[in-house]
Amino acid sequence: MPTTPLSLIRNFCNVAHIDHGKSTLADRFLELTHAVAERQMREQYLDRMDLERERGITIKAQAVRLRYASAPPDSAGEGGRRATPPREFELNLIDTPGHVDFTYEVSRSLAACEGAILLVDAAQGIEAQTLANFHLARDAGLIIVPAVNKIDLAQAAVEETVRELAELVGCADEDVLRVSAKSGAGVTELLDAVIDRVPPPSGDRDAPLRALIFDSSYDPYRGVIAYVRVVDGKIGGRARIRFMSTARPYEAEEVGVFAPDAVPFDELAAGDVGYLVTGVKDVRQAKVGDTITGEDRPAAEALPGYQEPKPMVWSGLYPAEGVDYSLLRDALDKLRLSDASLAYEPESSLALGFGFRCGFLGLLHMEIVKERLEREFDLELIATSPNVEFRVARNGGAEILSVHNPSEMPVPGTYDWVEEPFVLATVITPSAYLGPVMELCQSRRGTLGDMKYLSPERAELHYLLPLADIIFDFFDQLKSRTRGYASLDYEHWGYERSDLVRVDILLQGEPVDAFSAVVPRDRAYQYGRALTERLRELIPRQLFEVAIQAAIGSRVIARETVRAKRKDVLAKCYGGDITRKRKLLERQKEGKKRMRRVGRVDVPQEAFIAALRVETSASSSSTGGKR
Amino acid sequence: MTAGLYVHVPFCITRCGYCDFNTYAGLEDLRSPYVGALMREAELASPAWSETQFVSLFLGGGTPTTLPIHDMVRLLDHLRATLDVTADAEVTSEANPDTVDPAYLAGLREAGISRLSMGLQSFDPDVLRALERLHSAESAVAAFQAARATGFDNVNLDLIYGAAGETISSWRRTLEATVALRPEHVSAYALTIEPATPLGRKVAAGLVPAPDADLQTDMYATTCEVLGAAGYEHYEVSNWALPGRRCVHNLGYWEGRSYLGLGAGAHSFAGDRRWWNVRPPQQYLEIVAASRLPIGDEERLDGDARSLERLLLGLRLVDGIPESWLESPERADAFVAEGLAERRDGRLALTDRGMFLANELVTDLAG
Repeated sequence: MPTTPLSLIRNFCNVAHIDHGKSTLADRFLELTHAVAERQMREQYLDRMDLERERGITIKAQAVRLRYASAPPDSAGEGGRRATPPREFELNLIDTPGHVDFTYEVSRSLAACEGAILLVDAAQGIEAQTLANFHLARDAGLIIVPAVNKIDLAQAAVEETVRELAELVGCADEDVLRVSAKSGAGVTELLDAVIDRVPPPSGDRDAPLRALIFDSSYDPYRGVIAYVRVVDGKIGGRARIRFMSTARPYEAEEVGVFAPDAVPFDELAAGDVGYLVTGVKDVRQAKVGDTITGEDRPAAEALPGYQEPKPMVWSGLYPAEGVDYSLLRDALDKLRLSDASLAYEPESSLALGFGFRCGFLGLLHMEIVKERLEREFDLELIATSPNVEFRVARNGGAEILSVHNPSEMPVPGTYDWVEEPFVLATVITPSAYLGPVMELCQSRRGTLGDMKYLSPERAELHYLLPLADIIFDFFDQLKSRTRGYASLDYEHWGYERSDLVRVDILLQGEPVDAFSAVVPRDRAYQYGRALTERLRELIPRQLFEVAIQAAIGSRVIARETVRAKRKDVLAKCYGGDITRKRKLLERQKEGKKRMRRVGRVDVPQEAFIAALRVETSASSSSTGGKR
Repeated sequence: MTAGLYVHVPFCITRCGYCDFNTYAGLEDLRSPYVGALMREAELASPAWSETQFVSLFLGGGTPTTLPIHDMVRLLDHLRATLDVTADAEVTSEANPDTVDPAYLAGLREAGISRLSMGLQSFDPDVLRALERLHSAESAVAAFQAARATGFDNVNLDLIYGAAGETISSWRRTLEATVALRPEHVSAYALTIEPATPLGRKVAAGLVPAPDADLQTDMYATTCEVLGAAGYEHYEVSNWALPGRRCVHNLGYWEGRSYLGLGAGAHSFAGDRRWWNVRPPQQYLEIVAASRLPIGDEERLDGDARSLERLLLGLRLVDGIPESWLESPERADAFVAEGLAERRDGRLALTDRGMFLANELVTDLAG
């Protein structure tokens, strides 16, 4: 296929608040450009993962090349008559995730684009992530094409939303496009506007190769597949390449584009977005954000990469069967390739054996990683209760210890203070619910920053909140207190001092590391009570009385007792029954082998799992999925 | 070699809600052909057991006393003629209070039955109703007295505790009324809910509460107390006897002796082999009629299975097991310290309290 001249290329992405119609709009683009045969078309075509389709969310960004014949802008003027034949454009569309956990995916995608469609649901108006994504795109220097979606909905407030959006972007009302991604109305005009307003990529096709890896995936047969934006030069299949951060040479095996299925090309040139089969089998060698250059004529300078996303939420992942530990390690290595934000380090737990302390961007990310590990690698996993990273200051702050596992938190008296991560949260809510929203934020240790009215009916609030207090059920609570009208986004703020204590759970005086938690001092009692009560129900009766205690240091703050077991007997055991009764006992014996022993106490694994289960499912926390 | 002989009679007037034995109501027409089949099966089995002295014979069910008395007589005569049942063998028949009258009891004695095991279950009418038993406490007492009048000097009474609504004091009254009758032997069972029974389904559906384990434990302790005080020796988890009156046949199971089982669904055991007959009576009749042994399936006990069985059976008995049977005898230390087990003359035995936790202890002690 001949290389498309730069002037006919447009690289753009869709950004929006979750549920405002990004993936549906992408479907219309695919249809309009005949990228997918009609009979193969299905909803949310680009959400390939089973998980994405089940949850109705986009987890991974997708790049797709569309060929689109547009009337040249100068010929479709007042009369709409075309003086010259339409030109065929190469459009590279990147569909991005909407969930706040995956903000980094959005920012990476932005670096491969010159423009962004900012989509707003006409029935919802601007929401928290509309703002967040707008700021990301503007800061990345992208041309924003504002569009109001769902204009055919009965409850659509089109003109009001257009005004809000025009004000946000700083354009005239008539520059805001009006579309219905569902019916297709206005979609052609939107694509024309992208071509008209988004500049073609710049780049020197004769310069040494520089291609930015903005995403990657792993194919068990072909190795690392890098998603690249070629900035300078050209790259063909069989080219000798090198990753600039490691300087190791490789031979590219294939280049191509997603259209939307992979189509091999002879070469990719500056301005193109496509994929590169690197032949790299070691997942750590091909990092997202790295620059690929030619081995024979290397570029002098790498492209600015990405800040590696920092994990914000930590949890221990343990194989349910201890023997699966090495399988879990391999699985994490592979998953990390398509998910650069995943961090992990080996750890061991008295109660759960060998596993990994894993860092995630948020709770949804954690849930998705766990589910992908289980599905794609056929593992059964136990996850400990998630926690944030704590920083423990000693010697007046001269020494800072990062703690990812609550059981490693030093005992009180051995440090000066503790810090925990805070976020700056943006909440947009109908003014009628301001009271309940503020009450919720205050109960989560929030500090109100500023507040402004977007309109007399809608307010935008900024709160400084401990991350630990919003990762669990904050979003659910926010939604239920505002009848679903409020929206939330947040950015990381930094570490602040907090009055936190470690609460340990002890069985017969033995601490169970998997249940240690670091909580605000005034919630320690509540946590201790809740967990001891839960464990009393979950721990089977033993031959002796079992004391379940919650303690801060050596001070016990809650206690429950599992009474001793008194009856476990086969009342009748005669001739005909012996085989059956023996089998009963064989099963009981097997069950005991699977117990985890804490001191003298046998705890079935199921009890650990049940006690560790997070109260609310992560997919409903923070900005959630479609349900 | 000595062994026990078990004969299964799978007929009942009605099925009790808690019972999961191989027994049927409404098959009365099969009774005489069934007795014929038992006799034939004894002939078919006899060559393999020709060197064996049977020191006990136990007619169980079901309800053996649903058999017409002449069938009972010809059955026992034939068994003695076909197999070597010793002259002083313990010969027991289970009996339901509703199915015996003085004439029938006299017939049983003539047939050579030396021991009766009567299903009394409870003196509390509410408990009998909960167990779906047809008889009343009064008729059970009458049946017991009739047995005594007929000359039975070795009688067991079966009791069940822990049915819905039963209290400790009601259970104590049942025990005291039982003791007042002075049977030679008492079996007292904690009601166990078997899933595949009408009662099991009711419990699963939440219509009837499951027995409370703690209450049953208290009832068990009361049983140990009342029967012990009345001179009964607690010789197995659920069995008490006056001195010299322990059940020879059932001891055979717990002591690991061989046994031959005749009848539908009956199990047999010899060496390392356990096998069992087909369960449906009709199928049993057909196979025996074709002069074939009606074996449904069998298992060979490997070393692990044998040693687990040895423990689970032996530790049910008051004298326990030789400590040498344990791979790691020190595992018993904690149980001894807790008062759940005792060491005596190189043997390990469970205490009353320990017996009620036998599953827990056995699975800890086994390999």
